Amino acid sequence: MSTRVHPELHRDIARFGGDDITKCMNCGNCTAVCSLAGDGAVFPRKTIRYMQLGLKDKLLASPEPWLCYYCGECSDTCPRDANPAETMMAMRRWLTAEYDHSGRGRRLYTSEKAVVTTILKAAFIPLALLLALHAVTGFQRIVTDRVELNTFAPVMWVWAVVLLHFAFLGYHLMMNALHMIQHIMKPEDPEAKVPWAAYLLELKSLAIHFITQKRWRECGEEHDGQWLTHLLLVSGYVIMLVLVVGMLGWFQTDNIYPVYHPQRWLGYYATLVLIYASAAMLIGRFRKRTQVHRFSRPTDWLFPSFILVGAITGILVHAFRYAGWPWPTYGMYLIHVMAMVAMLDSEVGIGKWAHMIYRPLAIYLMNVKKRTQNQAVPEAGALPTN
Amino acid sequence: MHHDKIDTDALVIGGGIAGLQAALDLADQGFRVLIVEKQPSIGGKMIGLSKVFPTLDCCSCICTPRMAEAEHHPNIAIMTYTEVRHVRREGDRFIADLVKKPRYVDEDKCTGCRLCEYACNTELPHEFEGDLGVRKAIYVPFSNAVPQVALLDLENCILCGRCEKVCPVGAIDFLQQPQETVVRAGTVVVATGYETIRTDFKKEYGQGRLPNVLGALQVERLLAPHGPYGRVLRPSDGKVPDSIAYVQCAGSRDRSAGVSYCSRVCCMYAIKQAMLLCGTLPLADITIYYMDIRAFGKGFEQFYQNAKAMGIEFVKAKVASITEDQQQNPIVRIEVIEEDGRVEQRQHDMAVLSLGLVPGWDPREVGLAAPAPDGFIRCTQPMIAPCRTPDEGVFVAGCAAGPKDIPDSIIEAGAAAMEAAAYLHEHTHVAGKETTTTCMK
Repeated sequence: MSTRVHPELHRDIARFGGDDITKCMNCGNCTAVCSLAGDGAVFPRKTIRYMQLGLKDKLLASPEPWLCYYCGECSDTCPRDANPAETMMAMRRWLTAEYDHSGRGRRLYTSEKAVVTTILKAAFIPLALLLALHAVTGFQRIVTDRVELNTFAPVMWVWAVVLLHFAFLGYHLMMNALHMIQHIMKPEDPEAKVPWAAYLLELKSLAIHFITQKRWRECGEEHDGQWLTHLLLVSGYVIMLVLVVGMLGWFQTDNIYPVYHPQRWLGYYATLVLIYASAAMLIGRFRKRTQVHRFSRPTDWLFPSFILVGAITGILVHAFRYAGWPWPTYGMYLIHVMAMVAMLDSEVGIGKWAHMIYRPLAIYLMNVKKRTQNQAVPEAGALPTN
Repeated sequence: MHHDKIDTDALVIGGGIAGLQAALDLADQGFRVLIVEKQPSIGGKMIGLSKVFPTLDCCSCICTPRMAEAEHHPNIAIMTYTEVRHVRREGDRFIADLVKKPRYVDEDKCTGCRLCEYACNTELPHEFEGDLGVRKAIYVPFSNAVPQVALLDLENCILCGRCEKVCPVGAIDFLQQPQETVVRAGTVVVATGYETIRTDFKKEYGQGRLPNVLGALQVERLLAPHGPYGRVLRPSDGKVPDSIAYVQCAGSRDRSAGVSYCSRVCCMYAIKQAMLLCGTLPLADITIYYMDIRAFGKGFEQFYQNAKAMGIEFVKAKVASITEDQQQNPIVRIEVIEEDGRVEQRQHDMAVLSLGLVPGWDPREVGLAAPAPDGFIRCTQPMIAPCRTPDEGVFVAGCAAGPKDIPDSIIEAGAAAMEAAAYLHEHTHVAGKETTTTCMK
């Protein structure tokens, strides 16, 4: 099989962050110090070597960048100060952009201007839709003597738009995931076939890793806090996602339920953990005390900031309605929706939403490959490891 | 407190091989030289080594005659166990304040008979043996120390008085005080040498707490003919090691350890030690984990090829971490770069850190110009006058200017002596011939 060399590869990836990768002299310290490397997946040195050699196809077919959770130990101990951990992060950003054939990912990662315009454009959509709705009805529908949110933003209309938006984003995401699968599963030997059974049998691991990100915990106990914060964030995020996308008709209501009603305590739980986790992440990035937080790009600030804004505005909508203030409720609701639409639109192509899919998918695909290989060569697992 | 005054042509700071060579080269030209050494014996690091690369000559056999020559040279005075406090310029001369630390033994009376050492019953780790052997609270620093004068470690002494009773010449003096000396000199040669980086420089390497992970200088002592055990054993249980790992670039070319430069000698001393171990322990497996082998000097490449031919295994890998199992066998974790890149944990009986060389002394402490960014003495004209420092009239030799091997140190010491002599001729009017008779002891 021929290999095409792309000499500009490392310069291209450098636009997504990371240090000057020509510093690396391939001593292998990073791989040997990594507690996740091993068992068929050795990184970071291997992928960094691909970068140096310009082996773009090999890098596109590497699940390794997604197996790194950025504990930073390789950067701490790198004899050349080449920041392998941040380079892995840059590779993840670059891969996200490469798997995203629409070009949005690349624009957002490499241009701050693109980030701002994307956010502004997305935030304008709910504003325009609401204005259009009320313009058609001559601004007569809005109840102002008491809080009736559903007169300001009729829930069924909102729900329909949310579902449409999600269908669009979901399609985008699935296409990206498909591109990743195509690259990683492209057989080196055209004769070799991966049986469908392997894909099916590994689905369980996909689900487990998707929900728990449990491989992260192998980074070492000192990173458990980070993992837990992330898990809390995910739990809050998923609850909110289910409430908004799946059950908006039930969630956005003008009834004030008793406190023990799930509509309320689910909302409270999600709000609390989202505020806590996003604030913790922002503070970490601000302080730069840990390796993972030393290098922050604009896109890294985006997600926790939006989460924090979303959670705070969301709970304020609730508070204002509870207080019975119609206009503050409506105004805050509009800000909340604008922020959330902007977040989803700018985040789905890149970063957070992308890694939600890519990380478990990478582990899944590796397991599928391993299962196939083990079936083909039963002794493969019994290599002497000294 | 005594205040002695000494007048000399050249003050040499440091009595290691570079300082001794510079002093001898100056003294042979007729200049009066004072060597100041902070340790209780001259000889520096070299006298503690086993053999030299790439010739495998005996270190003691080269270094001891130089020490003796300096001791007996009519133009050389030596002050051991003495520290330089301050150096300043006064017109054409340098004024140096020295403090001689108390040995609690009268240097003029002591004959080095060691009766005190035999009588003392306080046992302590022996610094000269890399803390592997044992010394007494009163002791002659090592068997071929110059001067052969005992030294009392008052901090650890239990003041039982046995040494005082057995001393045949009454040399023990518990009331000795630090002694200040002011030196006037025409030039200064800095030959302060190096230290190896501390074994706890990297938390991944066990922070110096793993008993079977040794520093290279400790292994020099294990291999020396008069070393602490008289043979090669591992410290934790006295087992003869069957498998020994060398961890190269431990504290050099490692920015995470704060040392970005190459220490120049570690590749060759590791190969030398591995060869000597092959001779001592013919059945042992020796593995050298390296990033690059830098065999740049005369005869070095052949030396490296010989080592490979002897069956020493060279594995290209930076050791990421060293841990130990329940038997205290060191386990090194590496990526097998030259094969499939898998991560392996390899168990050995003993591991040796090829520790990098770091500066042993900061010239700012005595009022001299700041060192280069790497901490070694700054050389202002490395191409045309390599021994010149920012302070006019102060010259540098040996590892004080940067890591180097013994032949290079000796060449540089000669160069420093030559530049210092030229400086003396130019700036002071103490031409060599009239000073030959002045010998201070």
